[in-house]
Amino acid sequence: MTTASVSSARAGLLFVAPAVILMAGVLLLPIIAVAVLSLTDYSLGSPEFNWVGFENYGKIFSQSRYQGMIQATLTYVLVVTPLSIGLGLGAALLINSLRWGGAFYKTVYFLPVMATLMAMSIVWSFTLHPTLGIVNQSLASLCNVEAMQYWGWFHRSCEQGFPLWLGDRNYAIWTVCFVGIWQGFGFNMVLYLAGLTSVPSELYQAAEIDGASSPWERFRLVTWPTLWPTTVFVVTITAIRSFQVFDVVHGFYDQGAGPSRSAYVILVAMYEKGVKENLIGIGAAIAVLYLTFVLILAFVQKSVAAKREQVA
Amino acid sequence: MTAHRFTITETLKHLVLILGAIVVALPFYVMLSSSLKSPGEIERNEGGFFGSQALMVDEYCMKRGEPEGFANGNVSSETALANLRESCSKRPALFNYATAFSEAPLLRYLLNGVIVTASIFLLQVLVAVPAAYALSKLRFWGRDMVFSLVLICLLLPVHAVALPLYIVLAKLGLTNSYAALVIPWTISVFGIFLMRQFFSTVPDDLVDAARMDGMTEWSIVWKVMLPTAVPALLAFAIFSVVAHWNDYFWPRMVLTGDRSLFTPPLGLDEFRGGGGDGSLYGPMMATATVIVAPLIVAFLLAQRRFVEGITLSGMK
Repeated sequence: MTTASVSSARAGLLFVAPAVILMAGVLLLPIIAVAVLSLTDYSLGSPEFNWVGFENYGKIFSQSRYQGMIQATLTYVLVVTPLSIGLGLGAALLINSLRWGGAFYKTVYFLPVMATLMAMSIVWSFTLHPTLGIVNQSLASLCNVEAMQYWGWFHRSCEQGFPLWLGDRNYAIWTVCFVGIWQGFGFNMVLYLAGLTSVPSELYQAAEIDGASSPWERFRLVTWPTLWPTTVFVVTITAIRSFQVFDVVHGFYDQGAGPSRSAYVILVAMYEKGVKENLIGIGAAIAVLYLTFVLILAFVQKSVAAKREQVA
Repeated sequence: MTAHRFTITETLKHLVLILGAIVVALPFYVMLSSSLKSPGEIERNEGGFFGSQALMVDEYCMKRGEPEGFANGNVSSETALANLRESCSKRPALFNYATAFSEAPLLRYLLNGVIVTASIFLLQVLVAVPAAYALSKLRFWGRDMVFSLVLICLLLPVHAVALPLYIVLAKLGLTNSYAALVIPWTISVFGIFLMRQFFSTVPDDLVDAARMDGMTEWSIVWKVMLPTAVPALLAFAIFSVVAHWNDYFWPRMVLTGDRSLFTPPLGLDEFRGGGGDGSLYGPMMATATVIVAPLIVAFLLAQRRFVEGITLSGMK
C-alpha cells in the first residue's frame, strides 16, 4: 500500500465517523429503544419501571380508544392517498395539454406545499368557522337560488344550518382529509409533470398510426405505462406522508383529537400518550405500530419497483 | 370545425383549472384579506379584499391608557377619554400587524426560526458532505457497510424515534433549548445519499489532480468537490430549510414551557381560539401571514429552484 492510499483510507474513516455516530445515536439506537420501551410501563421521573410484555399492544388492539385511532388513521390515509394522487395526476395532464397559462396554475397549486401547514390549518379553521367563515356564509347566500334546492343535502342545510365542519364528529375527519388533500396534491402534480416530460412524443404518433385515436386510448397505451414508475413512487411517498398527519389536527383542535376523538390519528395519539400523559410505554407501542405501517409501505414499493425492473 | 372544437376543450380545461385554483387560493385570500380588516368587517364579512380602512379604536390601547387618562386631575374625565380615544384610533391593517408583533413576541419567534433552520442546515452540510465524499471517492475498510447503513436509515421515519430522543433530551435536561431543536436533525441521511450520488459523477481525475497539487483530503472536500455540487447543495438547502421552518411536530415535543424559544409555527398557538367574536382574528391572520410569507415570497421569486428542492425526495 502506498502512503497516499493509507492517508486516504484514514481520511475516509474520519469523514464518515461523525455521520455513523449520529446515525447510530439518533436513528438506530432509538429504534431499538422504542421497541424495548414498548414492552415496559416506563414513565419519565419515576425511579423504576416494570416489564409488562405485550400488554401495551394488547391495549392498542382491544380498547375502543385505539380502535378509533386506527380507524381515523386508516380513513385519512385511504382517502388522502388516492384523492391527492388522482387530483395531482389530473392537474398535471390538464396543465401539460394546455397551449398557454400552464405555469400559472402550476404556481398556484404548488403554494400549499410551501406554506406552513400549522398556520394554514388555523386559517382553514377560520375559513370554515360556522358563522364567521366565508364558506358557510357563501353557502347560505346560495339558499335563495331556486336550482340549488333540488340538492337534498343543500336544502336541509338551508333550513337547519350548514355543518360545523370542524365541530361535528360526522364531518371532522373528512375536513381534516380535505385539508390534507389541499396541501398535498400540488406535490404529486409536480412529480407527474416531471414524469410527463419523459414521455417520448414519437410514441404518441406510433400509437395513433396503430389506431389509438381517442385521447383515452392514447393515455391508456402510452402515457400511463410511462408514468407507472412515477406512480409507484408517488403512491408510497403520499401514503407515508399521510401517516404523519399531525399539524392539521393540532391546528384545528386544542385538545388534539377532534369531536368524540373522531380525528385521533396515530401521531396525535403517540404525542398525547407519550408526552402529555407521560405514559411512555403505550406511546412507544403506538410508535412501533406507526413504524410497522411505514416499513410495510417501503418494502411493498421496493418489491414492486424491483419486479418491474425484472420484467423490463 | 376541428379548430372550433379545439377551443371549446381548451376553454373547458381552463375552467376546471380556474375552479381548482380558486379552492386552492381560498385560504390565502382569507388570510391576507382578514389581516387587513377591522373586527366588525371580519364579523360581517364586508369591505371586499382590503376593507374600508376606516379608523377604529384599539381596545388594548384604551385599556392601557385608561388609568393614566383619569389621573389627570384638571381635565374632565370625558375629555381625557375622548383624547385617549383619538390617540388610540388606528387603521385596521396597522392595528392587526402591530398587535401581532406586540401581543406575542413574534419577532423573537421569527428569529428563532432563522437560528434553528440555519444551524440545522449548516450542521447537516458539515456532517453529510465529507461523508458523501468519502463514500464516493475514498477507499477504506467498511465503506460498503456504511453505505448500506445509509440506505437502511433512509427507510426509517423520524417520527418513530421521537419518543426515545425526547426521553434522552429530558434526562439530560436539554428540553426547552436550542440544542433540543437542532441536534436530532444534524444528520440528514438523505443529504448524504444525495451528495454521494452527485459526487459519483465527478471524474476521479479532478480529485487526483488536486492530490498532486498537495491538497489535503479535507480541503479537497470543500474547495474541489463542493463547488462542483452547487446545484445539488442549493436544492438540498431549500429542501432542508422549508422542512424545518414549517416543522411543528418536533418543536411541539421538546418545547414544553419556554416561549422565548418558540419557532414560528408554535407561536401561532398564542392566538388560537382567542376571541370567539372575531376580535382577535385580524391579528391572528396577520401573524399567520407573517409566518407564511417568507417562504411563499422566496418561492415566487425562484420557482424552479424551489420545485426542484421540494421534490428532491422524488429522486431517490
